[in-house]
Amino acid sequence: MPNIEKKSFDALVVGGGIAGVESAINIANNGLKVLLVEKDLTIGGKMIMLSKVFPTLDCSACITTPKISEVDRHPNVTIMTNTEVLHIDKQDKHYFKAQIKEKARYVDVSNCTGCQLCEDACPVVVPDQYQYGMVGRKAAYIPFNIASPRVASIDIENCSLCGACEKACPTQCIDFTQEDKEYEIVVKSVVIATGFNLFDPLKIPRYSYGSAKNVITSMEMERHLAPTRPYNHVLRPGDGKMPDNIAYVLCTGSRDMTVGNPICSQICCMYSIKQAQLLMGALPMADVTIYYINIRSFGKGFEEFYEQAKGMGINFVKGKIGQIDELENGDLKVRYEDINQGKLVESKHDLVVLSVGAMANEDPKTMFKADTWKQDEFAFAQQKDLFYTPSLSSIDGVFLAGTTSGPMDIPDTILSSGAASMEAIRYIKQAKVEI
Amino acid sequence: MKQKIGVYICHCGGNISDYVDVDKVKDVLAKEDGVYVSKTTIFACADSNQKEMVADIKANELDAVVVASCSPKLHQITFQAVTERAGLNKYNYVHANIREQVSWPHSDNKIGATEKAIQIVRSSVAKVRLSQAIEPIEIDTQQAVLVLGAGIAGMKAAISLAKMGTQVYLAEREHFIGGRIAHWDVLCGTEETGKELVTRLYTDVIANKNITLYTGAEMVSSGGSKGNFNVQLKLKPRYVADVCDDKENIKKAIEVCPVEVPDEFNFGITKRKAIYHNFPSEYPQAAVINMDDCTRCGECEKVCDKIDLSQKEETVEVKVGSVLVATGFDSYTPGEGEFGYQAIDNVITLSQYKRLLAISNGELKWNGKKIENVAYIYCVGSRQVEGENKYCSRYCCTATINTALRSNDKFKNLNHFHFTRGMRTYGKQEVFYHEASKQGHVFFQSYGDDPTKVENKNGKTIVKINDILTNRKELEVEADLVVLVTGMVPRAHNTIGDILKIPKGRDKFYNEIHMKLRPVETVIDGVTIAGACQGPKNIVESINSALSASIKSYSFVSSDKLSVEPIVAKIDENLCQYCDACTTACPFDAISKVKSGSKDVALINHTVCKGCGMCLPVCPTNAIQLITFSDDEVENMINVLANEL
Ligand SMILES: Cc1cc2nc3c(=O)[nH]c(=O)nc-3n(C[C@H](O)[C@H](O)[C@H](O)COP(=O)(O)OP(=O)(O)OC[C@H]3O[C@@H](n4cnc5c(N)ncnc54)[C@H](O)[C@@H]3O)c2cc1C
Ligand code: SF4
Repeated sequence: MPNIEKKSFDALVVGGGIAGVESAINIANNGLKVLLVEKDLTIGGKMIMLSKVFPTLDCSACITTPKISEVDRHPNVTIMTNTEVLHIDKQDKHYFKAQIKEKARYVDVSNCTGCQLCEDACPVVVPDQYQYGMVGRKAAYIPFNIASPRVASIDIENCSLCGACEKACPTQCIDFTQEDKEYEIVVKSVVIATGFNLFDPLKIPRYSYGSAKNVITSMEMERHLAPTRPYNHVLRPGDGKMPDNIAYVLCTGSRDMTVGNPICSQICCMYSIKQAQLLMGALPMADVTIYYINIRSFGKGFEEFYEQAKGMGINFVKGKIGQIDELENGDLKVRYEDINQGKLVESKHDLVVLSVGAMANEDPKTMFKADTWKQDEFAFAQQKDLFYTPSLSSIDGVFLAGTTSGPMDIPDTILSSGAASMEAIRYIKQAKVEI
Repeated sequence: MKQKIGVYICHCGGNISDYVDVDKVKDVLAKEDGVYVSKTTIFACADSNQKEMVADIKANELDAVVVASCSPKLHQITFQAVTERAGLNKYNYVHANIREQVSWPHSDNKIGATEKAIQIVRSSVAKVRLSQAIEPIEIDTQQAVLVLGAGIAGMKAAISLAKMGTQVYLAEREHFIGGRIAHWDVLCGTEETGKELVTRLYTDVIANKNITLYTGAEMVSSGGSKGNFNVQLKLKPRYVADVCDDKENIKKAIEVCPVEVPDEFNFGITKRKAIYHNFPSEYPQAAVINMDDCTRCGECEKVCDKIDLSQKEETVEVKVGSVLVATGFDSYTPGEGEFGYQAIDNVITLSQYKRLLAISNGELKWNGKKIENVAYIYCVGSRQVEGENKYCSRYCCTATINTALRSNDKFKNLNHFHFTRGMRTYGKQEVFYHEASKQGHVFFQSYGDDPTKVENKNGKTIVKINDILTNRKELEVEADLVVLVTGMVPRAHNTIGDILKIPKGRDKFYNEIHMKLRPVETVIDGVTIAGACQGPKNIVESINSALSASIKSYSFVSSDKLSVEPIVAKIDENLCQYCDACTTACPFDAISKVKSGSKDVALINHTVCKGCGMCLPVCPTNAIQLITFSDDEVENMINVLANEL
């Protein structure tokens, strides 16, 4: 881990998704020092895990990596992964003290070459969280091929302490004596880019997620379709069969008062249409049906993308799914109200994808002193002056980038990050206190 | 001649290697003349791989590099930087595209794709063999930015740039600032009115010494490029003294003016004089005379001595390092008879309706008739099945719902009927839709190919729909007022785009370089775009894009020097016989005639030349070479490709 000798920075960016990365680059390009803190083992957030992105169908990994490598080698940016922000306290008008905890990886990162020999040697296999449990990984592992940093880490909870990795490592960088380290740092401003959480479909038992094997989430489908996909094919998890009749359930957990979330997640219509188009390419014989309430293809080139999907033969059915039941052969019986026909209808599919919504990540609430960090009624960060400067949080000097303040797609996330970094730079430049 | 060339062939995680036998490409290339290292990699662009490449280049003391991967648009810069970090000059790098040009289009033919990939990579090696180390050109920059358009996006950008210490020229074509937002009452999601928001921004603009505001200012020409633009602005006179504190007499002047024309500020639902204000306390707070309307009767001059009909148009020149374009959008104008527009007298646009609500008091009336049933017809000019505008205008669903909800604050007893194409109140805006449904607004949805109809039946205005939501029932509403929810279209008056040569997308809005990686930059270096001129946006989205654009514009002017690509055309004076063919061919006016000894020759201004190559083919004596694309380099590439045929 970078040894943070210099413990003061101009900006602390919390969260290393595309919003955090974009903000860090913008701020650092202006000669300011940035500390980027990510709680996961790698930066890149959700974007680095996606397949292709709407509406251009660029390969997501390919457009994320230039940003990742730019931030990684930026002389003004220090990156700490596997690190938690414990609290951030506003000190004076113009600076903050933050307590951060770097969790032990049990690997000396500066010496790890990412050769993966430890991974080969490790005898413990557990489900791979980065592939949503579709395949296994070792207890000594590199998150995925394009992780940054691409270094090993020991999952100590699952580790059997057999020592095989230690023996296999050619650079002797495995170190079981490592401990979590806490640092206190001083910064002039903070950018919160902690992103969003995916809606947990277990909250809608009617949809049988978790019990029916062939009901998956859209994020799992992203992994099936990504260039770094686990099976190199789209296979249904229940029995490894290639699906040929796939259904999408839009608004899963969004626009749904029964789960307490009235708002629209604004990305799921589009990513579902994207996945449907990719599926038509991967499985040319398959039927794809999208069940929707309204299709919200509102951004630049989105409506055209939707029209293109219709032209490709993707079936759009206006209706909200009420119930999904598993049949004996693993197929799924889907019950819905078909608005066009004005009646309740049943249909059968062999794979159902739940287009789960974007929910607030409430982590920042725990970082700041009680009552200073304000949230809106949907638990997203409150935007203090929505129209004048959307990136202003309830705390002076703390700025909001990306989906911290509400659901948005990547283009909007980039713009919001540009705005947050411009405001942060202005704030830092105005800060009179030298720290 | 480079002798130690490194070739790296990327799998692109399957994007390439699923269709191209990358190992075969690697093996063939390993035998190529001058190739010292030939390798494959899963993701060449991954940070870990970049580090390995740097180490590899150093360890093998390579003198040139080729990476065969995706489009150079995506990663040429990435690998040029890798080469530089390894101690080489970045122009000793050549990029081979075997994804967009090979694996994707030839996914049905693996053998053929592999052959083609081999050819493309070999030709890149042929080019890199002749590559030379060259240095970027350094130019002096003007540390100032010109912001075009003083709507919310332009003002926000100007303010944030000025706060960074940058000199900003803010040029607004109209006589009043504020753009579209100045028209609106309470904005969606706050208690603030459009005018209040504009006031806050304007106050900041005026208070900042770094901002020079021009109103009535139109860009007429622009020369130069990134770092050094020379822009001419034509300033239309107001015909009223600039500092006019004589409010009473101006009022009298307006009273006595005999000319009446439709008032644009209220979208023609009211009249104004030839001398007029936008609205009480507009900005700047100074009346203006529109000379197209004025009959020069001189009545106003008689009552107010601040009026000066002799004012003349002026031109100012500003020198800036970057131009930020924030010229906004036009509202779609429905065709005659489109949903009854201009054919039926109680059919108006959303803009007109919003102004009507703002200026009406007591009862809401149209043409003297009390309004109770309001029918809103959505997607007028957007998502067209027949017309050209295929896109969704994004702001309008929410704007209409908000207008409808707010109208009840002022006027009770209004019934709202929404004839939609499927509501798109995305994100948190969904709650307004929810609220409207709760309050009893009625929503219908039409089929894409079966639009809502507006008809006049015995003096009554009837809106008819085959409604999706009720199983294609034909439903009718008798409306007292029909509001056409018109979308956003690109500005019809678009000299700026033509002068700056900003490319447009399919939807005719200005196009960004890359929607995700570089959303506010244009292919014209130094020119950035913000707000709705790039595509429909609401206020928050416009402000975010304005701040993003200002950060990019700032990067062009933050230092007094800027380095530019040395890929420029070069004249061989011995061969040149100045015929002026190149001067005419150059789209950037980079070529001029100079004396060299006794003869005239062409001279290329390297800070203006974009390396587009237009001058090369027209030169009769072949006196022009493009650096990094010399005849030798290109012929070498062609030879490799042609010899195989
Ligand atoms: C299935 C799916 C498909 C999608 N497809 C597309 C698409 O095709 N095109 C498109 O434009 N958009 C798409 N999106 C939307 C896209 O994922 C988001 O717009 C984008 O990821 C938002 O970026 P972010 O940085 O704000 O959030 P995130 O990607 O969520 O990043 C947040 C980061 O912060 C870290 N973090 C969280 N909490 C903390 C903490 N307390 N301390 C430190 N770090 C923390 C997280 O680990 C993560 O790295 C898709 C989304 C989904 C779910
Ligand atoms: S974007 Fe589409 S799927 Fe997602 S919540 Fe909104 S309407 Fe539903």
